[in-house]
Amino acid sequence: MSGDKGGGSAHDAAMRFQGSSQVVRPPCLWTTSVIAPLIANSLALASLLIMLSSGLALIYGLRDVINFGHGALYMLGAYLGYSIALVGGFWVALFFAPLLLALLGVVFEYGVLRPLRGRSHIEVALVTLGLGIILGQALIFIYGGEARGVDAPAALAGSVSLYNLSYPVYRIFLIAMGLGSCTALALWLRFSTSGLYVRAVSQDPSVARMMGVNSDRLSLLVTSLSAAFAGVAGVLAGPYLSVDPGMDVTMIVDCLIIVVIGGTGSIAGSIVAALLFGFVQVAGSVFLPDLAALAPYVLLFVVLLIAPRGIGRGRAPA
Amino acid sequence: MSNGTATRVAARNGALLPGASTRVPVAVVLAALLFGLGAFAPVHLASEFVLRIASGGLLLGMLALSVAFLMCQAGLVALGAASVYGGVGYLFAIAMSEWDLSPTSALLFAFVTVVLYSVALGALIVRTNPLAFMMLTLAAGEMINHGVMLEALRDYTSGADGLVVNFKGAILGMTAADLANATQFWPIAWSAAWLLGLAAYAVRRSRFGAILRAIRDNEERMRFSGFDTYLPRLVAFVFVNAIAAICGLLHVLNSGFVSPESLGLGVSTNALVAALIGGVAGSTGPIAGGVLFAFAQDQFGARGFTQLLTGVAMVVFIVALPRGVVGSLVEAARRNLLPKRGAR
Amino acid sequence: MLEIANLCVSYGRVRALDGVDLTIRGAGALHGIIGPNGAGKSTLLDAVTGRRPPSGGAVRYRGQDITRKSVRWRRRHGMARSFQRTSIFTDLTVREQLTLVARHLRDDRLDDVIEVMNLGEWLGEKAGRIAYGVQRRVDVALALIGRPELLLMDEPGAGLSAHETLSLFQHLRDLVRERGMAAVVVEHDVDAVFACCDVVSVLDLGRHLATGSPAAIRADSRVIAAYLGSAA
Repeated sequence: MSGDKGGGSAHDAAMRFQGSSQVVRPPCLWTTSVIAPLIANSLALASLLIMLSSGLALIYGLRDVINFGHGALYMLGAYLGYSIALVGGFWVALFFAPLLLALLGVVFEYGVLRPLRGRSHIEVALVTLGLGIILGQALIFIYGGEARGVDAPAALAGSVSLYNLSYPVYRIFLIAMGLGSCTALALWLRFSTSGLYVRAVSQDPSVARMMGVNSDRLSLLVTSLSAAFAGVAGVLAGPYLSVDPGMDVTMIVDCLIIVVIGGTGSIAGSIVAALLFGFVQVAGSVFLPDLAALAPYVLLFVVLLIAPRGIGRGRAPA
Repeated sequence: MSNGTATRVAARNGALLPGASTRVPVAVVLAALLFGLGAFAPVHLASEFVLRIASGGLLLGMLALSVAFLMCQAGLVALGAASVYGGVGYLFAIAMSEWDLSPTSALLFAFVTVVLYSVALGALIVRTNPLAFMMLTLAAGEMINHGVMLEALRDYTSGADGLVVNFKGAILGMTAADLANATQFWPIAWSAAWLLGLAAYAVRRSRFGAILRAIRDNEERMRFSGFDTYLPRLVAFVFVNAIAAICGLLHVLNSGFVSPESLGLGVSTNALVAALIGGVAGSTGPIAGGVLFAFAQDQFGARGFTQLLTGVAMVVFIVALPRGVVGSLVEAARRNLLPKRGAR
Repeated sequence: MLEIANLCVSYGRVRALDGVDLTIRGAGALHGIIGPNGAGKSTLLDAVTGRRPPSGGAVRYRGQDITRKSVRWRRRHGMARSFQRTSIFTDLTVREQLTLVARHLRDDRLDDVIEVMNLGEWLGEKAGRIAYGVQRRVDVALALIGRPELLLMDEPGAGLSAHETLSLFQHLRDLVRERGMAAVVVEHDVDAVFACCDVVSVLDLGRHLATGSPAAIRADSRVIAAYLGSAA
């Protein structure tokens, strides 16, 4: 069975989960046949969200700038993945698309972030929003307005059977990728010099600069990594969600909610937030399908009312 | 410069600059002339089509004023402006069709409800940091947007089809047909724009405005100087939502129709872009920006390029023309027309 | 006037203040607080002024427990503070921000503050564009508005030369005597503190080490050990 197709939003993905397990279940029975796919699907969705929102959170923590074009980068990664996969297959796409996006990240750093350094944060954010819109429109112009399906590679097609339940291999791969990138990120932040610098600058930018941290080089690294990860997420999303116009808007909104819930400058916070978000979205689509689209917004309100600064221990005030 | 006594004496005399006492009335007379001219000349000079676009532009401009005011004075970007703009129209329509209220009562009902809503929402969200605030206004707007299309409320809102508004009777002597007429609506839109623009100006120049801007500048120091930093921002939020509600009501009176599109994120973004085009500071900028945007949209929208226009405008105006069209003109005028000051 | 009882502040697992007991007596006296790096001086000030909630202990002002009172309440009841990292209104002119606060606190003797802090020639300038030293004076001036009874200052000499700091302290001492107010100054520059303060307290590693006259503190072996120990 090849990968899923259909609308590109997280909500649409969640809606399709209902077909993933072969056991027909009544909605309110808490059995393994309901819980297990629920958790697995939440993890799969969260994997994508973690890859995207940690990139967003890193740039925000480092430069206090929200890259509103992040969703468009993800969309570019998905469309590039689609095109490259047509000629070279999935794995080639998974290798080259992130590379191309990392290059775009470098262009973004030198062409946009550095020249606009003196401007207010709102202004830079709005410029990235404008650029994101332009990129999105360009992609629609080139590829047209219908959704494209991408097939999962042969190695990852099909389902695997566990305890009477059937689960698509591709999603397990997705969860593994998510886990892998999380671990890689955590290791980098914790044990490498640049990771330490990123944490320091995120916590207290002025002090870190005083200690001679080259925040320019750091920023270049973070921006291109962030773009590369958006590319990875875009390619991975192909067989799982599908590639369609409008995926940039839904994704940037979801990622922004996650970053805000996670707390400024807290990567751990955004990871927890992504997990929470994934779960709420999937659970919402299973138990309350009509209102599932509103779930992220309700989550945002609830979390911020309880913890106004977000989940993680972010930057100290002023 | 530090001769406090001299300045205090001069201020008491009411004239700090020679000729100032005659300068103010001249400005007022000119403004009144401009107002009168603008209210009636276009009706005779422009086609109905142009008037329609221009009125729409004024309405968008007033919404842009609401967004720009909060952004400049309080440093907060509200992305849910359209939900108030469209939402008030829905309330107006529903009040008449479901509860048989007279048009004027329905108008008041819709306005008051929206103001109460913004008090409640503002009370919750004004305390958060600017990014969280922006996302929360977006979330609230999107929830209303989705809410309007819910199956459960279809009987009230007609879902995605939108509601046709027809009211019997008249508001202040004008019937539904009168209000839908472009030549009769233009003076109303023009007057409303002036009124709201002046209201925003008055608030900006007041002590309340100074406090808002100081809170934006350094919220912590304001608290440590004994100020309440929560209430002023809440009041500002309610104020800008009241502006959005007023132009939203004008919109529904003129168009006779309300749909989920009028409350969507697209309209909120358009308002933001209109503010950027015209200039976010002041009152004239956003309103003029709305008119400019409306005409640009007419040119490009037909070819499906509205979104692209939005994106390009955002980048171009922030990078090259951060003060917007109006702001740049004012700046150019100031530099070239005012006498040069002596060396400091 | 100000009583600090067993005050504790924690940042996660780090105890920045570990049960500090301190009394600031009274009007007309300049009370300096010194201590090696990491002693918790700024944290003490933040906890006392309400900027950071303490995890334990109490702060009493004129006999009243103010530990949970808001920052705004404290200012309106005569407790003002200045900041280590200059906190002023960069978009407003010097005159605009001073007038804004003065009107709010109903202080009509703004000219005094301007004169004391020597800001006369800078009134029309935007605060974001003036020299650092002048900005620090504006920071202090904002705290002086409204005739506070208790002035708390966080490293007023930060970023200033030794000479400027000494001069600032001398001004402060005169001001304190003139107005009969109490002032607590956390400072890194020990020389200025010893030269101008009436009472000196020493903090080390989140604890109150000693309090006394400048001469007594200078000779105190525990204080010397604390400073030497931290230099190691």
